[in-house]
Amino acid sequence: MLEIRNLTARIGDAEILRGVDLSVNSGEVHAIMGPNGSGKSTLAQVLAGNDAYEVTAGSVVFKGNDLLELEPEERAREGIFLGFQYPVEIPGVNNAYLLKAALNARRQQQGLEEIDAFEFLKLAREKMALLDMDPKFLNRGVNEGFSGGEKKRNEILQMAILEPSLAILDETDSGLDIDALRAVAKGVNSLRSPDRAIVLVTHYQRLLGYVEPDHVHVLSDGRIVRSGDKSLALELEEKGYDWLREAAGA
Amino acid sequence: MKTAIAIDALRAAVARMPHDRLTPTRRAALEHLDREGTPTIRHEDWKYTDLATVIEISNQWLADGARTVAPPSADATIASITRRFDAHWLIIANGAVDTDSITAAQMAGIHVTPLSESQSIPQFEAPLSDLNIALLRDGLHIRIDAGAAPDKAIGVLVIDSAAVAAATSQTRVEIELAANSKASFIEYHRSTGDADHYANSVFNLVVGDNADANYVRLQDRDPGHSQTGRLTASLARDSRFRHCAFDLGGKLIRNDLSIELTGPGAAASLHGLYLAGDEQHIDNHTRIDHRVGLSRSEQEYRGILSDAARCVWNGKAIVHNGADGTDAKQANHNLLLSKTAEVDAKPELEIYADDVKCSHGTTIGQLDEAAMFYLRTRGLDKREARQLMTRAFAQSIVGMTPIESYQEAIREQVADRLNQLTLGDDQ
Repeated sequence: MLEIRNLTARIGDAEILRGVDLSVNSGEVHAIMGPNGSGKSTLAQVLAGNDAYEVTAGSVVFKGNDLLELEPEERAREGIFLGFQYPVEIPGVNNAYLLKAALNARRQQQGLEEIDAFEFLKLAREKMALLDMDPKFLNRGVNEGFSGGEKKRNEILQMAILEPSLAILDETDSGLDIDALRAVAKGVNSLRSPDRAIVLVTHYQRLLGYVEPDHVHVLSDGRIVRSGDKSLALELEEKGYDWLREAAGA
Repeated sequence: MKTAIAIDALRAAVARMPHDRLTPTRRAALEHLDREGTPTIRHEDWKYTDLATVIEISNQWLADGARTVAPPSADATIASITRRFDAHWLIIANGAVDTDSITAAQMAGIHVTPLSESQSIPQFEAPLSDLNIALLRDGLHIRIDAGAAPDKAIGVLVIDSAAVAAATSQTRVEIELAANSKASFIEYHRSTGDADHYANSVFNLVVGDNADANYVRLQDRDPGHSQTGRLTASLARDSRFRHCAFDLGGKLIRNDLSIELTGPGAAASLHGLYLAGDEQHIDNHTRIDHRVGLSRSEQEYRGILSDAARCVWNGKAIVHNGADGTDAKQANHNLLLSKTAEVDAKPELEIYADDVKCSHGTTIGQLDEAAMFYLRTRGLDKREARQLMTRAFAQSIVGMTPIESYQEAIREQVADRLNQLTLGDDQ
């Protein structure tokens, strides 16, 4: 589904990604872990198409197409979803309106008719119940005045409604209390399916206790320095990241 | 001076005006204009708005014989407006008051009279107010009786046309709300035609003790047409004036809003939204005089500009000596969608009392890039994201429209205008 080859990217003069290689297949859950500043969020932003980052080399192929050629909205319509580490507050833009517009943009791409208001509301309520979200959030401004946990749940709600082919969740677990973490994990697990892939970008092993990954990668200094199965996450939890840096440098 | 009004031609035009109760006032206004002239960019209050083009239109019209153009056949346009905004409509077409509409608007508690038949003696000391009276064919006087509360708003539809030759029009409406009355008003400006047009309007309100006035102004002129408009309101004890204005069209637009809080407990709220593209020029000057204590005012204007539009917001609040306990707030926020758009935002507070609460704030910025990216990652293209964000920005003013039943129609009209403004790619 996703093939990343030797991807390098920078912001301003700072080179953040220094040759990332990663293959993600349908049905898989990957966790990308790594210390602060290793380039995890940059990778997520580059995949979503944030033009603040300049891709200087390498390639990204998504479902057989050159992803880097696509605008952010085209990537979204093709089925890429980025769950933001810091979801943006957009005062005055109605949450339900955005959800419906986003879903219809995706449906149009898939050759489906626009969803009607009744069906949409039904779908939204169903997904909100899954995430233990109060339906009143539908009529608030996008993330406007939401707590950290509410913002993250709202990201997962968007994902659950859009049903992307590839979901990239950037530090979705950070700042969550245990109830919110469970709700988020439930949302993510509900989307696991053979025709979908999920990439969890995370600093801690915590979320991985609830969402079991098939593959775990460690990003350090802009490169993937080690890959393994879920036991790698536990090893990192125990030993930290330094031993890997030393191993990579040696 | 090159751009002065052609006073001899004006004198001749005034001499040909109807002979009625307004005649002495027209002549006095003409002499006032002859002495004072029209404002130029050397006047501090007019430094960003050069009236040269509208003076030239006036001179052209005077040179052509100051002809009274027959009111345009605008039934379809009028119907489209009156259908969307339910009101007792009074129509002023090319400066001519439609007498049928006056008859239709008479009902218990509302008295509408042609200005020429009323006892009111209009004032003309303010800039362009003298020109307004000198060339005024007729205006309206509206009185709401004490304690009256009309079932729906009273609308004044100013509709102008300039089909083949440069034209001007003058509109004057004097409104009196007696004590304890409660009434809503809508002032709607619309124009059509390919020739140059300059409209000059003056609306004056006197709001009595404990009276309540809701006021909506909507300007949707042809992109080639210009307007200067003055609105004054004098607010007596415990009266309320809630105003919301929308400037969606026009070429050169200048609005002067002057509010006097003359009685304790009086409260004014002024909101405005201006949407400007191409080379549109929209200038809003507001002035609030707190003459007595315990009076409140708040104002918030917002603007969205694209292309090479130029807008001005100058909000002045004056707290006079002894007006203790005044509460005055002002805010002006602007979104620039292009690099060539320009805003001059100037809040001014003059405080001559000790115990007051005053605040002001202005912002000028672009659409938030982080929010734009966020919306695009949800599948909205750039234009949809811009539309969504500009609508949200505008909606906080639309939502202040004091006649709530109008909000939906205004929201749609604002969205249509925003769709035009957000077309460009230079953003």
